[in-house]
Amino acid sequence: MFIRGTGSTRHDAWWRSTRLSRRAVRVAAAMSASAALVLGGVVATSGSATASVRAKPKGSPLVVADVAPFTGVDAALGPTYLVSCDAVTNAINEAGGVLGHPLGCKSVDTRGDPADAVPAVQQLFASTPNVSLVIGCTSDEAASVVPIINARKVVMFCMTGQSEFTHIKFPYFFRLVPPDLATADAMVAIAKYHTHYKRIALAFGNDIGSQTFVTPAVQAIHKVGLDLVANLTLDLTATTFRTEAARIVAAHPDVIFTEALGSADATFLSEVKQENHGKPIPVIGTSATISPTWYSSVSKAVGATYLSKDYQADNLVTLTSGPAFEAFKRAIFSMKGKVGNSGNFTTYLSAPGAVHLYDGINLAALAMVEAKSTTPSVYKPYILSIGNGSPGAVVVNTFAQGVAALKRGKKIRYIGPGGPTSFDAHHDSPGIFQIDKYGPKGQVIVAGTITTSQLRSVK
Amino acid sequence: MSVFVASLAFGVISASVLAIASIGFTLQFAVTNVLNLAYAAVMTASAYVAYEVNQAGVVVWVSALVGAAVGATMSYLLNRVVYTPFQRRKASPITLVIVSLGMTLIIEFGTQAFVGGTNVSYTMANGPTLGVGSFVFTGAELGIVAVAVATMVAVHVLIRYTRLGKAMRAAAANRDLARVCGIRTARVVTVTWILSGAVCGLAGVVFGMNAGSFGATSTDIFVVLILAAVFLGGPGEPYGAMVGALVIGLGTEVSAAFIQPDYKDVIAFVILLVMLVARPTGLLGART
Repeated sequence: MFIRGTGSTRHDAWWRSTRLSRRAVRVAAAMSASAALVLGGVVATSGSATASVRAKPKGSPLVVADVAPFTGVDAALGPTYLVSCDAVTNAINEAGGVLGHPLGCKSVDTRGDPADAVPAVQQLFASTPNVSLVIGCTSDEAASVVPIINARKVVMFCMTGQSEFTHIKFPYFFRLVPPDLATADAMVAIAKYHTHYKRIALAFGNDIGSQTFVTPAVQAIHKVGLDLVANLTLDLTATTFRTEAARIVAAHPDVIFTEALGSADATFLSEVKQENHGKPIPVIGTSATISPTWYSSVSKAVGATYLSKDYQADNLVTLTSGPAFEAFKRAIFSMKGKVGNSGNFTTYLSAPGAVHLYDGINLAALAMVEAKSTTPSVYKPYILSIGNGSPGAVVVNTFAQGVAALKRGKKIRYIGPGGPTSFDAHHDSPGIFQIDKYGPKGQVIVAGTITTSQLRSVK
Repeated sequence: MSVFVASLAFGVISASVLAIASIGFTLQFAVTNVLNLAYAAVMTASAYVAYEVNQAGVVVWVSALVGAAVGATMSYLLNRVVYTPFQRRKASPITLVIVSLGMTLIIEFGTQAFVGGTNVSYTMANGPTLGVGSFVFTGAELGIVAVAVATMVAVHVLIRYTRLGKAMRAAAANRDLARVCGIRTARVVTVTWILSGAVCGLAGVVFGMNAGSFGATSTDIFVVLILAAVFLGGPGEPYGAMVGALVIGLGTEVSAAFIQPDYKDVIAFVILLVMLVARPTGLLGART
């Protein structure tokens, strides 16, 4: 079959005689395949980039750009923010939009890589003239994209905790999440004061966003006299962490502090459990682990019982009742079934990216209305006055309430599901921490709060 | 149990996954003369199809056969639709490498367009365990090692004792001479693409099983490890790929027991560089 007999050239002759038609078929097949793949990619990109604009407001649409990872190891972040963005912009559009303009959300995939983020953001501005607000900008890409967005004079609400933004002032940069330094302190405070663990192991991913927790956590652990028994950096592109798990188990920690997104924590924790003969080691996660996607992947790997019994995370205090929370809940749940989701949908109600970006977009939209301008340089100062409040300001919990109060000539203070904001000179509004757990079905349960004195003692 | 002993055992499992992938890759390269960097992307695409089959209720080991079939089909199409036209136009080897890089992106992001950016996991039981000394292997891990051994034996039998294997070796050594000797080299090349593609698809599923979960871009770094194993053993040398995979698998896992584990892939390349300085043609490559 494979070794030709003497004089056997029939195959070659047949091949020559049919060469043209076969070539045509091949070319057609190649073009079809390429077209299908390219179109698939385009559809996927535009699918997530579709502006969710309602017809109600008559003005030209304004774009809220969700600049975050949609692919790569932190791929869960961008879609979480997009759920919140779609939810709040729908609510704003139903209330008439911003000065008659509808808002729509557009996803910009940074792949969680600063090098990929820069061209993605430049392309955003080159192709989208009506960008009024940027959200997302996680620690993965903030250092590279914040200067660009700031230079474009576009307001941004970022989800980065990087401490450099408390030192360098970018006038258009705002954030409603605490610096990673404070988050690491809060993790240590949970171990010290709430669970009384003594032996701590650190296992953080090797991405920028996760690594920023390590140094402050190590310092805080030493400060309060706990033992750091292991400190491993997990390669998020690795396929297994068995040796890393063996090292952790051999160190006999009471608790593991972790943030390794993508599939890493799921694989790592399941291998730790396996190495520890099926016995789970308790985990304290960062607020990034309060996420439906993280819960879904990790609970599948280690079991929901592990997470409901042996997992805690620090998270900013967010409201769980009242008019602001109810409006937020309504908006988020209007997205149920319309967005891809894994895990328990109610987790979005506690996910920092969902809560704080909902507030950020509302703050920016109300600032535009009060400033009577959608130009960022004009409306930016109003974010501070609406967020921090001013004497005699009326408290509003939704965009619609805010617009109504402004029409009556009132000053307003917006308090959303993330609670009252308090912007400082660097536009940081750090907030206070609570301890979250997962319930048996993946719902988030508040297990306690971290007091200011506890937090201060570990600094 | 010491971490060192555990890392040795883990190294064997990692080496098994790497060995399956490396054997297919080097077989493909030896006979077809194409350094197909899209190999890892085909692995991932095959793993995804197997995942869909697995989610439909099919046992993961049966799904692996589906993955192998998908890998074979994709590799066949890749050769017929993409590489062969370039080769017919006398494209240089470096051009083909660039084309394969392009195909990597097309397949990888094409897969991502269909399945999304999040990771998936096979539904599978770890099965019974087996204690070897102080280390306990799970059933799934033993299965992976068994598949690797079976693949290596199958490739050995193929290239040593079959007519096709002889033809493949002849085509790999000198394609023009083989053709003159009456070997249907075009057909041998096509069959090699199919067989190595099947091994590639199988490697994709085993990779997904071993990793616990995988995404469309999960094999981005793994292809570099495949290259390291292949070139360490000697490019185009199936036995070399087996040895290379073992060295790289053990090297990365054992090093992770002593240094920051995110540097373990760096160790693989330190081993490769040191080896290539001492023996440029690889461990089992022909002496120059």
